[in-house]
Amino acid sequence: MKRWHHYAFAVVAGLAAGAGGAWAVIHKGLNDGRLSNGPWSTALNYGTKDTDSLTRASVALRAILALPSTETVYWNAAADSDGIPLDGSCTYAMTGKPLDARWWSVTYYDKRGYLVANAANIWSFSGISVTPAEKDGWRVTIGPDKVDGHWLPSAKGQPFELTLRMYNPGAGFRASPKDAILPVLKKERCA
Amino acid sequence: MTRWIVPLLVFLATAAGAWHATLAAATFGLMEGAVRRLSLRAGLNTMSYGQLATPANQPIVRPSPDLAYSSCPFDLSAGPLLIQYVPVAGRYSSLSVFNARTDVVFVRNDEQAGGKPVRIAIAREGQKVPAGVETVRVGYDRGIALVRLLLADPAEIAQFDAIRRQSNCATIRG
Repeated sequence: MKRWHHYAFAVVAGLAAGAGGAWAVIHKGLNDGRLSNGPWSTALNYGTKDTDSLTRASVALRAILALPSTETVYWNAAADSDGIPLDGSCTYAMTGKPLDARWWSVTYYDKRGYLVANAANIWSFSGISVTPAEKDGWRVTIGPDKVDGHWLPSAKGQPFELTLRMYNPGAGFRASPKDAILPVLKKERCA
Repeated sequence: MTRWIVPLLVFLATAAGAWHATLAAATFGLMEGAVRRLSLRAGLNTMSYGQLATPANQPIVRPSPDLAYSSCPFDLSAGPLLIQYVPVAGRYSSLSVFNARTDVVFVRNDEQAGGKPVRIAIAREGQKVPAGVETVRVGYDRGIALVRLLLADPAEIAQFDAIRRQSNCATIRG
């Protein structure tokens, strides 16, 4: 092999490895944030000029126009509290307490980050739905079949993700997000 | 062995450059795609007042179905942009401005605004803006200004339509 062949091979291989690697990592999802809390993960530098280029590109693909954490914290979950990927054929109990934020919600998305059609036209559960009687704890059933109480419909046969939004998080939360009490996701059964 | 050292260094340098170039291209490309999709509603430098996100209405990835979004995709090449944001009393709302790199260059919510209207200008360095207007200087021509309004019930979107339309944006001419 001639010497210039070595350089040509190195350049082509470098371009392929660098571009291909970056593209693959961007598409891996949002679950590689720097901060984890149970099944939820986030990065607190979304939308800022200090964001690293990988996080910026991943957010552009999966959650473009996200606000900085001073305004909103976005937690994402692709697995339940036991670390098993979320499956729309299964039924989950999502339990928690009112969160330390001016407003919060949990929204159901497909793996690409889009809302999924369901007959009930329900795609999220928010703190507005928590009654005074539930101030010590609330439960939402996530599953394909309608249940009494709070229900977030899932799509059978499809994996899914949940995004927990905390708008104007409180001072207690901001002091230590990793120690905040966030909703628990427990699988109860699968169809 | 030594004849491979320099090609190996070339490989590593090229891979690192390609990595960073791909991340930057993806970021700017995805943002430009968002600017173009949102400009299909009413054009650039004009605010449009979107309906609530549903599976059939998702111009942007990962929308919240609880928020009414009003968007102003902008291009400063014809001049700076003047934005007015009018909060709704007692409701979370915010104005945020994103540059072409997806960075938030301005954000203010209803509480920070004291419930009062906010007027800001978005401008490149050197562009003239009206005296007395709070000005945000940006490094790119294109971006998106977004007003989020929290609704307790989807039916409220009609109730708040008139006040949503008091938020607007327009190019500042000459």
